[in-house]
Order: sequence, then structure tokens, then C-alpha cells
Amino acid sequence: MERPETNGLYDSANALSAARQTFACLTQPSRRQFMCNLAAGGAGFAVLGLQTAAWADQFQAQEIDNPLANYPNREWEKVYRNLYHSDSQFTFLCAPNDTHNCLLNAHVKNGVVTRISPTYNFHKATDLQGNRSSQRWEPRCCQKGLALVRRFYGDRRCKKPMMRRGFKQWIEDGMPRDPNTGAVDAEKYLQRGKDPWIAVTWDQANDYSAQALVDIARTYSGKEGQQRLVAQDYDPLMAESTNEAGTQVIKFRGGMPALGMTRIYGMYRNANLFALLDDKIRGKGPDGSLGARGWDNYSWHTDLPPGHPMVTGQQTLDFDLCNVEHSNLVLVWGMNWICTKMPDSHWLTEARMKGTKIVVIACEYSSTANKGDEVLFVRPGTTPALALGIAQVLIAEGLFDSKYVAGNTDLPLLVRMDSGKLLRASDVSADYEPAELKNGITILEPGQNPPLPYLQPYAVVSKAKRLEWGDFVIWDETRGELASISRDLVGRFMTDAGLQPRISGTVSVTLSDGRKVECRTVFDVTRQMLDQSYQPEQVAKLTSAPADAIRGLARQIAANPEKTLFCLGMGPNQFFNNDLKDRGVFLVAALSRNIGHIGGNVGSYAGNYRGAFFSGIPQYIAEDPFNIELDPNKPARVKRYYKPESVHYFNHSDRILRHGNAVLTGKTHLPTPTKAILVSNSNSLIGNAKGHFETVVNTLRRVEFVSVQEWWWTASCEYADVVFPVDSWAEFKYPDLTISVTNPFLYVFPATPLPRIFDTRSDMEVMSGIAEAIGTQLKDSRFADYWRFVREGQARPYIQRVLNFSNATRGWQVEQLEASAAEGAPTMLETRTYPKYGGWEQTYESRPWYTRTGRLEFYRDEDEFIDSGENIVVHREPIDSTPYEPNVIVSAPHPLLRPKQPSDYGMDPNDLSGDARQARHVVLTVDEVLATNHPLKKYGYQFTFHTPKYRHGAHTTPVDLDIIAVWFGPFGDMRRLDKRMPGVSEMYVDINPMDARGIGVEDGDYVWIDADPADRPFHGWEHNPEWYRVARLLARARYYPGTPRTVTRMWHNAYGATYGSVQAAMTSATGLAKSQSTNYQALFRSGSQQSCTRGFIKPTQMTDSLTIKEALSQVMAQGFVPDVHCPTGAPREAMVRITRAEPGGLEGRGLWRPAAIGMRPTYESDSLKRFIAGGFQEKA
Amino acid sequence: MPKRGNWQIGRQQEYPYEGAPPKRQVAYIFDTNKCIGCQTCTVACKTCWTSGKGEETIFWNNVETKPYGGYPVGWDLNLLREHPPARWQGKQLYSITIFENKSGAETPPSGHRPKSEDYAHPNLGEDDIAGMAELGNHFGPDHPMWMFYMARICNHCDNPACVAACPRKAIYKRPEDGIVLVDQERCRGYQECVKACPYKKVFYNIVSRASQKCIGCYPRVEQGLVALCVESCIGKIRMHGFLSTQEPPREDNPLDYIVKFRKLALPIYPQFGTGPNVFYIPPLHVPDGFLDMIFGPGVEEAKKMYRNLKNDPLLLGALMLFGASPQIITRYAVEGEVAIGWNDKNEEVARVPFVEPVYERPHFDKDREVYRHNTA
Repeated sequence: MERPETNGLYDSANALSAARQTFACLTQPSRRQFMCNLAAGGAGFAVLGLQTAAWADQFQAQEIDNPLANYPNREWEKVYRNLYHSDSQFTFLCAPNDTHNCLLNAHVKNGVVTRISPTYNFHKATDLQGNRSSQRWEPRCCQKGLALVRRFYGDRRCKKPMMRRGFKQWIEDGMPRDPNTGAVDAEKYLQRGKDPWIAVTWDQANDYSAQALVDIARTYSGKEGQQRLVAQDYDPLMAESTNEAGTQVIKFRGGMPALGMTRIYGMYRNANLFALLDDKIRGKGPDGSLGARGWDNYSWHTDLPPGHPMVTGQQTLDFDLCNVEHSNLVLVWGMNWICTKMPDSHWLTEARMKGTKIVVIACEYSSTANKGDEVLFVRPGTTPALALGIAQVLIAEGLFDSKYVAGNTDLPLLVRMDSGKLLRASDVSADYEPAELKNGITILEPGQNPPLPYLQPYAVVSKAKRLEWGDFVIWDETRGELASISRDLVGRFMTDAGLQPRISGTVSVTLSDGRKVECRTVFDVTRQMLDQSYQPEQVAKLTSAPADAIRGLARQIAANPEKTLFCLGMGPNQFFNNDLKDRGVFLVAALSRNIGHIGGNVGSYAGNYRGAFFSGIPQYIAEDPFNIELDPNKPARVKRYYKPESVHYFNHSDRILRHGNAVLTGKTHLPTPTKAILVSNSNSLIGNAKGHFETVVNTLRRVEFVSVQEWWWTASCEYADVVFPVDSWAEFKYPDLTISVTNPFLYVFPATPLPRIFDTRSDMEVMSGIAEAIGTQLKDSRFADYWRFVREGQARPYIQRVLNFSNATRGWQVEQLEASAAEGAPTMLETRTYPKYGGWEQTYESRPWYTRTGRLEFYRDEDEFIDSGENIVVHREPIDSTPYEPNVIVSAPHPLLRPKQPSDYGMDPNDLSGDARQARHVVLTVDEVLATNHPLKKYGYQFTFHTPKYRHGAHTTPVDLDIIAVWFGPFGDMRRLDKRMPGVSEMYVDINPMDARGIGVEDGDYVWIDADPADRPFHGWEHNPEWYRVARLLARARYYPGTPRTVTRMWHNAYGATYGSVQAAMTSATGLAKSQSTNYQALFRSGSQQSCTRGFIKPTQMTDSLTIKEALSQVMAQGFVPDVHCPTGAPREAMVRITRAEPGGLEGRGLWRPAAIGMRPTYESDSLKRFIAGGFQEKA
Repeated sequence: MPKRGNWQIGRQQEYPYEGAPPKRQVAYIFDTNKCIGCQTCTVACKTCWTSGKGEETIFWNNVETKPYGGYPVGWDLNLLREHPPARWQGKQLYSITIFENKSGAETPPSGHRPKSEDYAHPNLGEDDIAGMAELGNHFGPDHPMWMFYMARICNHCDNPACVAACPRKAIYKRPEDGIVLVDQERCRGYQECVKACPYKKVFYNIVSRASQKCIGCYPRVEQGLVALCVESCIGKIRMHGFLSTQEPPREDNPLDYIVKFRKLALPIYPQFGTGPNVFYIPPLHVPDGFLDMIFGPGVEEAKKMYRNLKNDPLLLGALMLFGASPQIITRYAVEGEVAIGWNDKNEEVARVPFVEPVYERPHFDKDREVYRHNTA
């Protein structure tokens, strides 16, 4: 056998391995030296091999007759015992935003973490009442966490503060700007991704950052500042939104902050602190100053299921995944549970073992499909229609629970056929006095503040808002007349009140002004919609699901009230019609009484988002910077100066949605222009953003400062100005806290005994450092005081304040939690139940939902919804991923469907460009839709390209480590025999073999994948070959028979190509796509899966009118609420054209070997065919 | 050549050496219905045992997707192709094992040595299905298109082919637990074991110039702990323990019970005659033909038994103990809806409810002055 080359091993984990073995060998007798080198390798391997062989030859070999009976020399077995031995161990928490949060043991040898293992102590979690979890939870870990030994020491660690040369120059040149517009010379100073990097001191990094931030805030303050923004071509409404505070163009983002209560949420604390900066500049004092802006998370990641708040008024309904064992029927709906919820997969497979039926609805044979007792493949992006088809059957066959529907949904409420508005009691009677509400609500009198978060029993609302809601009207069957129904009267309270609403029918109502209007129940108009357009045969045409399958699902669901779980994943959520999907699924769940039960509920699974478990977080992030509390034992005084904002506008080329003559971004949502970005713990903002290259090439060029806090050099670092290196999870010097939305535990990141491996600091120390540098510049000590405890080496006072003020944690002391975590055990979150499940209060205590009506709402009578044609739940075709006309509303004419048409907005009805589609409300019947075409179809754009998450990465963590990457799909090769490979593995597109054949692509070939050339990979690519070479997507094609024809798939997780990685691949001898200046390792030769996506924003997610609950408290709000009601984009949508680039064989010659030797789908050798058929046996 | 009894093929077979069985035999049960293909086992093994130079392509543990996957490429297909097909009558094998092939020029055991390229692409075939998916497909519980994950380690066989093939007699089976080891001091790297092992679970280290294989995590087994691949298995698909060898099997030994009494878990390619000690619970959704070829007789009965687990508390209880403790469970019992496991020292190491307990908390906690919420 040839000696394999090892240059493919690009991780410095080799260095770690060598170091660890060298250490180990030094401590062992010389006789063991041989074995050390043998068992694990060491430096100078080749020569050493010969030496050790010579040494071993001196060993007297003993004769052995029968090794099965007797083996004499077992002394050597010590070798592996020594290799296994650790000197010590400690516990740390691994939490890469996958919702699991595993406490892990790190095993230390000679001061180095050499391996990682699960703690097996999750069954020691307790609550304040002394309840305890069981061993069902063991073990908690995954391959990505265990591989972190190579990341702590890897060569892509952020090791010291780094600064981009152009940025450094800009500061040193005195921050010059265009005298007319205030813009920074992009050609000279903003060559992000191309500029070299310079190592700087911490003081320099802090000081230069502070200078930039103060200058940006000054430049864009006042009327002049706003004029500069307009001169730079920003939307005037956005410029106006700064309210003249320059601090408002500075954007902070902590990536999924619930994952780090102190160190990630801390970004927003600094955003709040910036009110002091504004005060220094504009002198408006504590009442007139504004902080910075804080970007959203859950909604930015398209994790938010935006229809949940539309139905329930609340961020998201979900339940701990372990609840699956209480259900009879589980619909795993566009969720790849097996790949993305790995430590909780056993709950699913064990439920199945105990008799639960698993139904998998997907657009491919996913790894979850192989656990399915019933499997259904549907066309991507069509499950809103599927839900409506199921609902149609439930109603048409009389399979729904009319009592539940009457008491808990808006279906019996009357809607006016003239205006499309819900009939209010005040419409009927002019002097109607709204009922005094008592059930599950606290009404605030004018001037009254909400109770402290932990003393909020239920929803909290101002009196004015309550009066605005009014009361609604039903037809009461008992009395045979119209009756007003207040928000209180839900569940048993409605029954107790003796009301029996009629669900169906038409009523002629005389209004208080004497006019007669026809009213129908919401149920009635919904049923008409379903019967006209969503009968199973119609839905079958849209979704491909057979009509029988739809009927079968409906009947099974109806047969299992309180016992059917709807587990929705990112699949359907990442389509533009995601809110309609939620509304449809809730309709099915409500009709079948499957909401709020442990075994019957709706859940959406994406992201670890629920900051509300830290409802006391304002104690930390909104401490009043003008009035700082420096006594660690006292609570902070809270005053919020920062403003939240959705990143989706930045991702939309830093634009709002203007459509013809209309602005469809609500006033409550309006963003400001983005001139500075400070981000921690997130590669999604830049490196893995949808439309990544639009961000990098076009949008980022207008941003004047970008700082990134990371412990691993990501693509976001590649495009930053300053990279602040922070501690890895194994090196935390301060404890931190997190929670989970899929399991019932509260977690501590323990502070660890491992010394810092590089010149890193904690995230909080970085924030504190920047703040202090600003304070130094402005000669104001409050900037330093804001982080006083951190400066004194303490995080606990901040943590304890939040624990004390949060509903789910009050009662715990941080030291107790730390002690438990050090033993590898989490503690339980103090929710109403263990395990937790949403909707419990509404279901078991008849409390109202967080809506105006207190009911689950399926009719939306706000103007924005009526104008969009989404007042009644409908299906819309995907905005790009459809072979038909994008984003059309599917419906036959319906009396309440009256959307604004393109002409109403002054738009060309034939304009089907990406931008125009966003508010294009054309209505077509099912058959009409099927007769249309995607506008690019005629140019060969025939494949739906979707980009789900996969098992080998939690986002991009830690996909580029060799021992993870080599398992990531079929192209991994530790030896990198084909030098075209970007690393020891590379990304690929899954394509149906018959489709691939049709376009002349062989298995393993390299292909170009192009989306709409009008806006992707970035606007203006035609004139920018230098960046087009970086941005155009090139990847392997894998023949994947599990993706139906027309569906293609590329995993979301890989690191995309950057300017540096492409340069390296073209110029270095190894061909590695690994930046020579930063070590950034791409898994693409060029482009990324985000070359094909773009930012889209949807009008119904930007309303000023929707009534919802705030994310962090029980307080009711209206319009924009970050991570609750705001745009979510469509990051899984693209129609692509695929063309062959290069043959897959070695160095571009011939067929890829596995196909050539007959081991691949459709290339099977005769023996492989026989093998698959089970043919190597003969039964007698 | 001596004859040895092989219970997995229901007959005596040839094997070059005689020898009493070990005091007890280390054994594993893998439930393919629970395997998620995550490779956590692979990484747990790799980071501890084979992270050095020369070991880049050595994976003592791997998970492959059947039918297209396999590491090294085609490890089983290439042997099946060369070997006469298995012929079973009931539970008895009538065809020859790899130790009984006298037709060829080479002496048994029959085998093949993979090419170096076969060690590229460790996850070739990942998630690939046999058959072709189409939009609108609707099926179940049997899948017309299918794949399943198969985790693989050394089988620590009763009749190890590696032991049989080693010209230097550097491979042995430990009498105390049946773990098969390559003596790293004695091995000279002839690679006959690599060729002979039908499972291709002995690897050649190009740097140390010796063959290396899964050591059954003996440093852990000696401490009563399960192997690292078992400890880290989040799919909870694995149970690691001992089969009784010199005494009759015991119903309260979960491995004996599942493998010997109930025959829910089946050996992998028993027709090769190595007497492998990793036993697989077959995947419910996969056609019997393929599974019969891989796991031998008993697939249909095993599937039926698995589908009926909810009515079979003793068997269900044994399965609920998978992954409950890092300690090896040698005795178990089911009390109501709780499975209890004890270690070799008779200490209780697992107490597993069939259903996780559910607790309720008051809306207002008076002592701590706080409202609690589920719908937050």
C-alpha cells in the first residue's frame, strides 16, 4: 500500500495531538515511548517509525501456539490505559444555538483538553420544589461537541485582536469624509475582505473602535446628520427615523442572546449605554437622549414562525420535545428532527417503540423519513395548502370539535360582509360599554406602570388599548339573538356564562346607525374558502399529495384529539408564505382540539429564542446609564434607551419596502440606515446571511465600522474591521446562563479552570473595554462604571439581578446553579409544568390567548391583511421556489377576498421582478395557477434549490474541523487526492439522478448553480468580475435519489467562499481554499449556498396594527415587536439553473471514482444491484 | 482443522484454533431503529484512540448508510461477491463459512484487501436511498424506497478471522472478557488480518507500520464502564455488556435476554462464521430480503416483536435501559413501568421510568413572591 499523503489534514489539531502525545510520552517510562508514537503519532513520524521498528526488533519474540487459548505477553496493554488516562476533568457548556445545551466533561492531560464526554448527570436536575429528572435524559452530547478539542486549539481560533489595514488607515488619517455627503471613501478605506490584517493591542483595538463610533455618532447627529444620510441615498423615511440621534445608526447584535444571558445580551446593554454618547453630542439629557439600535435574532434567522403571533398573540407556541411520548400521533412537518434535534431524537424513536405513530411530511426522503410509519412527499413551499386541505376535510366530514371551536377560537365571531371587519358590539349599539375584564388580564389605568415582570400574573394592557379592542359579537343559540362576547369569555367561562355561539351561518344585523349589514361567522367564510379552493383534489394538484393521503391524515388527526402533536420545522418556515402555513396548521389543530395538551399541541422548532425565560433581563440590558447602581446587592434602575430593529432591512440592501406609490413597512418597524455594526457570537449576520454576497459587495460598502467578537475566524470576521478574540466555552472566566426551548432546563456555563489558550478576553470584557475607551475619549467615567462589576472580575451581580426578576428563575441563587453545573447537572426552569408545554394556561385554566378577542384568531381584519388578501387563511405560491407564477394567492373568487392589485399601487401588473413580487397580490384559482410559469423557467431555471440544516453542523459550528468535515457527505477525503477540493471535504448539491442526466451532469461533477441573475449573487455582478468569481456558486453534484425530480438541496451549514479563500485556492500549491492571511477555511471553491438566496420582506409581517404580547413580558403591544412581529424573509427560496462545470474524476478527468466503480445510485454494478436486492443468499 | 460450535449458524464449523470460550464475552446490541447516523460514536472513539499521524483514515467506529454506504468502500459487497451465497435452512447454515473455503488457491479464511482509495470517502452513500423518491409518494410502514444507518465496530468475534489469519500470532482474545486485541509490540504489519476480517475492522497504520483495531475500550471495561462509542450514543441505540459463555444464559442479564432468549437482536453476517458479538435490532421499514442477507434468519420475528413492544414490558424495560448509565449493566428487572439496572458490584446504576415524570407548579409561588408561566 502506498504511503498516504497527509497534507489534507489542515487542522492544527494535529499539533494538539502531537503536543498531547509528546507530553504523555515525556511522563512515561522510555519503554512506552515506542507505543506513544505508535498509538497516536508524533512529530517526525517517518524517521521515528524506522527507529522504533529497529528498537522493537531487539525484543525477544516468544513462540505462541494458540493465541485463542493462551497469550503470554499482555504487559503491552498498558499503552492504551495510559492513552486513556486523564489528569483531571472539568465541566463546560456547549451551546451553539441548536437548543440542546450540553454540559460536557473536558478531560485534561498535561494541561491540554484531549477529549470530551457527556456528563451523565442530567438526571440530577431539580427544581425549587425538589422534583427531579430521570435517566431518560442521558446522555447529552453530539459529535460536534466532542470535536471541540480541535476547535479550542485550532488554527482558526481568533487569537489576538486584529484590525483591517484600511480601517486602521482611516482612523490614522483622521477619519476623512466626503465634505458633501459625509461618506467614507470606500475605494480607499473600505476594501473589506481584500485588505490585509494587522495584529494590534487590546488598547489599540478599543481606542480605534471608540474613535470610529464617536465619529459616526457625531457625523449623523442632528438635521445635518439626517441630510448626510439622504445625500448618501438612504431612504428619507429611514434617515428621519434616527430622530436626529447619530447613535441610532449604530447597530448592536448579540447572536441569539438567550444563549448567553450576560455575554451575548450584553451587546444590548452597550446599545443602551450609548444614550450617554448621544447626550454628550446633543446634550438632550436623560429624557431626550437615544441609545443605539439593537438588532433582532429569532426573526432575523427566520426561526420565528410569524403566524403564531397572528393566531395566538404570543411569540411562539411550542413544547419540550420529550412530550412526544404522550402522543398517539406525531406529524413531523417539514422538520428534520433526526438531523437537527439529535440529542432529543431518542424521545421520538422511543415514543415509536412504545406505540406512537410517526408521520413524516417532507419534500424529500430525509433522515427523519426513515423513522416514519407514514411518509408523504410534497412540493416544497406548499404545506400551507396541505393544512387547508386537511382543515377542509375536518369540516366537510364533520370531524371537528364544535365545542372547542365555539369556546376557544374566533370562528363563531361575526364578520361584516361590507367592510370585512369583525363586527364589534359598539357597531350594534352606540352606547355600548365594553365589559370589565377580569380573566387573565391586568388593566393599567392612565399613568400606571406595569407590575415588575415577576409580579405580572397574566397579560397586562393599558385601559386605552383595551377600549380600542372593544368587544365582539356572536349569535347566541341559547337565546336566539346577537350577543356581545368579551375577551374574558373563553373556555369554561363562556360555558359558565350560558353562551352558546352559533358557529355557522349568516345574520342580517342592524347597526346603531340603522343600516343593515350582512354578517357571517368567521367559520362560515373560512369554510367557503376551503370548499371553493382547498378540497383534497385541488390541494393534491398544488402539493402533489394524493387526495386520499390528505383525507387519511385528517381522519387520523380527528381520531386523536389531545393526542396529536404538530412538530413543524424550519422547512416550511423558511418560505415567504410561512405565516400562512402557521395559520393553516393552527386551524387544523384547533378544529381537532390539539392545542395546549402534553400530547396534543403545535410546536415550531428553530432557534433557541425565548428570552422571556429571562424576563428580568431589563435589569441588565436596560439599566439606566444615567443612574447606574453600583451596589451589587441592589437591583438596577431600568430605563430603556436603545431601540430594537429588524436586520431584514439591512439584508434588503438597507431598504424598506416601497411598492409603487406605497410604503409597506409600517411606521413602528422603520429602520435607520446602518453605519456601524457591533456583533458577537453570530456568523449569520454577515458570513452566512441570505444574499450574502449582496451584503458583502454592495450593502457593507456603506457601513463605516464593523466589529466582530468571535472565538473562531468565520466569514463574518473576514469582512470585519476589528475582530475581538474571545474565550471559547472551555475557557470561560465568568459564569453565564442560558435556557432551552426544547428541553425543560436552566443552564449555567461554568467558569472553568482551563487557562486561556490565546490572548482572548470574555465578551463582557470586550464590551466593557469599548465602553471604557469611549469614556476615556469623552472624559466621562460613567462609561466605565456601566461595566464596573466586570472590571472587578464579577458577572454574578448582573446574573443574580436577572434571576431575581425573572418569572422562571426567581428563587435560585447563581451560586446554587453554578454548583450544580460544575457537577454536570442543569437545573429545572420554574415554568408551570415540567416538562413545559405552551398553551397550558389557556387549555387547563381557560385563560385568554394574547389576542384582542382572547381567542385563537383565524380571521385578521386589520387593513394590512385585507389589502394583502390574507384576512382569511389562504395559500400563496412561494415567492421564488415554484415552477408557477410566484407569490400568487390561490383562491376562487370569495366575497371577502379583496386584495389591492398592482395597479392600486401604481405598479405594472406584469412586473414579476423579485422586488415587485413582495407585494403582488394577484389571485388565481388552482387551475389557473397550474397554467402559469415562473418567469425564468424558459431560461432553464427549473430546480427548486433549498438549503436546510444538517447533522454535521450546528449552523457553521464546527463544520470545518477535519474530523467533522470528512463525514459531511460523500466527498470527504482526509488525503485530498483531488487537489481541487477546497478542504478535506466540500459542499454539494443533491439532485435527482434523472434530472441530472437530463442536463448532462454526472454524479460527482462540479456544477455551477445560478439563481435569478437580476439580483443574485449580487446586484451588478455583470460589471464586477473580480467579485463574481468569488460569489458564483460552484459545488459538486451528488446523485441523490431521495430528492424528487425538480427538487434540489444543499446543506446550509458550510463556510462559504471569501475573497481570501478564492485567492488562496488559485495561488497556493495545495489548492486549499484556505485564506493565507487569516486561515479561514471555505468548503466551497467559490460562492456559498447563500449565493442563491436574497432578502425578501412581506407586508403582513410589517403591520402597525397586529395585537400581540411583548417578547420579554406579559405586556400587550401593537405593531412591531422584535422577534415577534417583524419580517422573517424567505431564506430557503431559489429557483436555479444548474450547468456542468467540470468532470468529477480526479483532477477533472472522467467520472468520479465511486461512480466509475459502480457504487453509486444509477451507476450500480451488477453485484451492487444484487446486493441491494438481498441476492447474496439462498433460502432453502 | 479443529471444529468449533457456532450457535449463530446452528452447527459446528472449522476454525484453525481450539479454545474454551472466554469467562464472559463482551457484546453489544445496536438498535437500528433508533440510530440517527450522527457519528457521535465515531468522534468519541476517534478523539480518544486514533487521533495521531498515520491514523487519518482509521475509524475503529463508523456509521454507514445501507445499502450504498460502507467503510472501506464495498467492504461487505466485495466479500459477498467472491463467496458462495449463504444457504439457510431454518436457523442452520448449509453453505460454507469463510474458514471452510477450500476451492481457491489461498488458504482460508477467504478475504480481500481493500485498495487505498477505498479508504477515502468514509461517508460515501450517506442518506442515499435504494429506489427513487417522487413528489406525491405516500407510503408506510414498509418503505418502497429505503435506507438505514448501521453503526459498526469490531465484533470481538467468537472465531476471529484476524486471529486465524495472523502469521505472527500477534492477535489474541482476552480470556476475561473476550476482547480481541492486536499486540502492538508484536505486530509486524503483514496485514493478513486486514485482508481476513470480513468486517474490515482492522486498519493498517502506515506510520507505526502495525495493524490497529478497536480495543473494546478495555481500559474502561476494566473499570466497569461501557465503551466510549456506547457512552456517547445520543440515539441511545447501544447496550454494552456481557453474554454468558461458560454458564447458561440468564434472563436477568439484559444482553442474554435480548440476544439469546428473545432473539430480538441478530448478528451481522453470521454466515461468515466468525461468531460476531455486535447484535443488531433490524430496521422495521426495510424489506426483509436485504435484512435476511445481512442478519441471517429471524428478521421477520424480530420486527414483529419490536412492533409489539408496548405489550411486552420485560423486553421494553431492557430496551429502556439503553444509554441510561455509563456503567455496564449486568442485571436488570422491571417493576411496573420502571426498569432498574445493576452493575457487576450489585449497585443500582439505572432506574428508568417508561415515561418521564410530569410535575405541576402553582401559578403564584407565595414563598418566593413570583408568578410562573408556561405560555411566556
